[in-house]
Amino acid sequence: MIDRKDNSQLLRKRSFVLGSLKTLFTLIVFGKLYHLQILDKLKYGKLSDLNRIKVKILYPERGIIYDLYNNPIALNKADFQLNIFREKADLINDYISSLSNVIKFSEQDLADLKENIKNKDLSDFIIMKKNLDWSQLERFELISNNFPFLIINQERARSYKNNFIFSHVIGYVGYRKDLKDKKLNNLKFGISGIEKLFDKKLLGKDGWIKLETNSKGRIKKELNKKISIPGENLKTNLIAPIQEYAYSLFKDINGAVVMIDCRNGGVNCLLSTPSFNNNEFSDGVTAEKWKLLVNNESKPLLNRCIAGLYAPGSTFKLITALYVLEHLNFNPNTKYFCSGFTEFGDRKFHCWKEEGHGLIDLKGAIKKSCDCYFYNLAKLINVDSLSEFSKNFSLGVSTRIDIPNELIGIMPNRKWKKKNKGERWQKGETLITVIGQGFMLATPLQITNMTATLASGKKIKPKILYSPDNIFENTEVSMKNLTFVRNAMYSVVNEYEGTAYSSRISGKYKLVGKTGTSQVRKISKEERELGVLKNEEIVYKLRDHSIFTGFAPHKNPKFAITVIAEHMGSGSKVAAPIAKKVMKFSLKNFLKK
Amino acid sequence: MNEIFLKLKNLNWLYFFLVSFLSFVGIVMIYSATSAMEMNIFFNHITKVFFGLIIMIIVSLIDMDFWKKNAFYFYLIFLILLVWASFYGHIGKGSRRWIEISGFYFQPSEFMKIFIILSLAKFFDEKKIKDPSDYFFLVLPILIVLLPVGLILRQPDLGTAAIILFICFLIFFIAGLSWKFFASIGFVMLMIAPYLWSLLKNYQKQRILTLFNPENDPLGSGYHIIQSQIAIGSGGVFGKGWMKGTQSHLDFLPEKHTDFIFSMLGEEFGFLGTLSVVGLIIVITSITYNIANKFNRDFFNRVLAYGLISNFFFAAMINMSMVIGLLPVVGLPLPLVSYGGSSMITYFIGFGLILSMDRKLKTNY
Repeated sequence: MIDRKDNSQLLRKRSFVLGSLKTLFTLIVFGKLYHLQILDKLKYGKLSDLNRIKVKILYPERGIIYDLYNNPIALNKADFQLNIFREKADLINDYISSLSNVIKFSEQDLADLKENIKNKDLSDFIIMKKNLDWSQLERFELISNNFPFLIINQERARSYKNNFIFSHVIGYVGYRKDLKDKKLNNLKFGISGIEKLFDKKLLGKDGWIKLETNSKGRIKKELNKKISIPGENLKTNLIAPIQEYAYSLFKDINGAVVMIDCRNGGVNCLLSTPSFNNNEFSDGVTAEKWKLLVNNESKPLLNRCIAGLYAPGSTFKLITALYVLEHLNFNPNTKYFCSGFTEFGDRKFHCWKEEGHGLIDLKGAIKKSCDCYFYNLAKLINVDSLSEFSKNFSLGVSTRIDIPNELIGIMPNRKWKKKNKGERWQKGETLITVIGQGFMLATPLQITNMTATLASGKKIKPKILYSPDNIFENTEVSMKNLTFVRNAMYSVVNEYEGTAYSSRISGKYKLVGKTGTSQVRKISKEERELGVLKNEEIVYKLRDHSIFTGFAPHKNPKFAITVIAEHMGSGSKVAAPIAKKVMKFSLKNFLKK
Repeated sequence: MNEIFLKLKNLNWLYFFLVSFLSFVGIVMIYSATSAMEMNIFFNHITKVFFGLIIMIIVSLIDMDFWKKNAFYFYLIFLILLVWASFYGHIGKGSRRWIEISGFYFQPSEFMKIFIILSLAKFFDEKKIKDPSDYFFLVLPILIVLLPVGLILRQPDLGTAAIILFICFLIFFIAGLSWKFFASIGFVMLMIAPYLWSLLKNYQKQRILTLFNPENDPLGSGYHIIQSQIAIGSGGVFGKGWMKGTQSHLDFLPEKHTDFIFSMLGEEFGFLGTLSVVGLIIVITSITYNIANKFNRDFFNRVLAYGLISNFFFAAMINMSMVIGLLPVVGLPLPLVSYGGSSMITYFIGFGLILSMDRKLKTNY
């Protein structure tokens, strides 16, 4: 038997062992606490912040684009977006299927979402779907408790007031795939037109916000933020009502309307039809739709005003006339006889009027657009000199308009032909050049700028972006000769037998101008002999383009306009009446404004 | 009446104060933890603490002789209650362990801890170990332990069963069982370990495994440990301030008013806070050792004191180890600090017994 004394000694020993065990345990716990709270404090502090603090990028609101009278053309609308916490990306597939009766995800949505998941930016959120409508928002609100880590937030997205009318000039916005800096994945950049050109101004500066969230994915409060700075608003020289009105006249017609303010070079109208829906483009156009537009024969994506090339036709006679007056001291009273054709070398050059104009002077030749008179002038003309002279009227050179992708067309001369065709210039080619056919090509903008220069006597530089003062140099052409041409233009529209007489504007302010017919094909000798076919009898694609260019008012000109209606025949039939309507509208509403 | 007054006067009020202070820390933390919940959870806790303090005083006023005399009866009563609870009781937290008495739920398994310790102390006091190699007399104490443990495992409540086994193991050790006994138990345990492992539920296995590599499964069972470590670690030296813990108030910390209250303390009061609580536990434990050692040859009181304080100390340390990632999460509250229930009352009874011993020292010796 172990006696009590031994027993209590054993007890003391054992309790000492137990005490030591406890001390050891305490030390281990103490050591671990020291490690966590002292040594690794920074690490865990950071982790706790990562848990609760979620960063969201504040995208800047894009600047608004106004017209000359502060009508907004491109503005922004509320865009409600469904976001998910990036760290909960693995919930996305579940959520998509359980949300299916409230919010449907289209193929495009899913593709965008995939992209958004892949691209890591600063944001702790992934955009699942954009453009939620009210009914989706309301229904989601009711069930949002079942979907932790989903939040709705409101962004501002580009929205154009008119889907089609300004698409070419204003352009549209979209994502840029080539961006190196992937920090702002969901920032839309200007892709074309003014949106692209003035993108830097319009963009603004992004900001961020730090949100405190709980483990259930609910936002508790804002911690701090750097607010985004909206982009600058832009004021353009466009006059929205004019362009809208012009568009309304272009139902089922392909073509362009360009209007320039002769006093300050402001581009008041830059319409190209057919057009495309720039709202649809900005929201992200599908590949299918894109393909359809690209392959469309009418080329809706082409901005005809600055990149559509047309033979200026008889509108160029104005420059030819001015050239002979200015450089050859030509007497405008000189008369030639028009029998319907002129022979040159072994070829016959035909006037548009088969029976001829008879004996006619320069003014009459402009008024009635007599081709034979100009064939006779051509015999006096050196094409290189004419080509050089035309540059004063922005033909064959850039108008230096402030939007990109302008084409300069062709103002042919000897050197050009040698270089591009590898052949010598034929004198006969001068004959068709002086009436604006043959190799010559110009954009509607160039033709309008030509008219604006004729109207103002100044070297106009067309501008989309508004700026208060624009002073232009005078052209070197004498006032006497300019006045002659202007008066000839007056007779075209306002005198009986003028080619655009039916498009005259009654009243104080007169429209003056010149019609033109832009040939799409050459008329062969055989066809000539069989009798020239009427425009309506030819295949649409080969029909002539109808052109009119002019300005108003006759005295102290304000608006210069060019209308091109593709494949619509002679200028007097379609282009001139449209120009008249647009001009009448402009004079009535905006002349004195 | 006079007698009670005298007994009160002889109470170790410092000890009483230290224990109360620990439960005060609990009140402060639970106020913060439940600030976003219904207010009545907090008031419920205060009521229970108050009730517990009264029970502690009542127990302390009863002489130790009474407890020694009636140890086995209490044991039997609670064994019956435990049987009742395990077979017909309410189910909560996945196990059948609750008995409802007029709206209050209590767990006999918690109270059973005290009476197992009491019974073992009585047993080893009366049946001195005659021959360390005579294992036969150990049948009774082993039964005292295994009967309730078996019932608790049936509920199933692995955490409580494990801690009871552990505490009883310590009592056997203190009582002076030979090393051979422990060696053979250790050997047996090792042999049946794979079998025990196979008995564990998948989630229990997972908990043990994640302990070794919590990052392996950051959103599953490892999530709680990681979030708890983040909470404690981010508290730093001074903490984020009372009511200002982000991990806890933004619900990243699970079970913050029960098992993980120590993490919240670490987050809001920092290293100074955790150190103070660990310090308080050590002070209470040391004073209890001091009291126990004074009993010299009074085997019953001494073993009982060691047993009770070990129950408290190890529960506290295991809870802390669990939330700082040293031990698997077994579902064990921090004594007196966590949102209270039967377990908190049990600790108050335990401290009441220790206070009664201290009073006995003052009056008898």
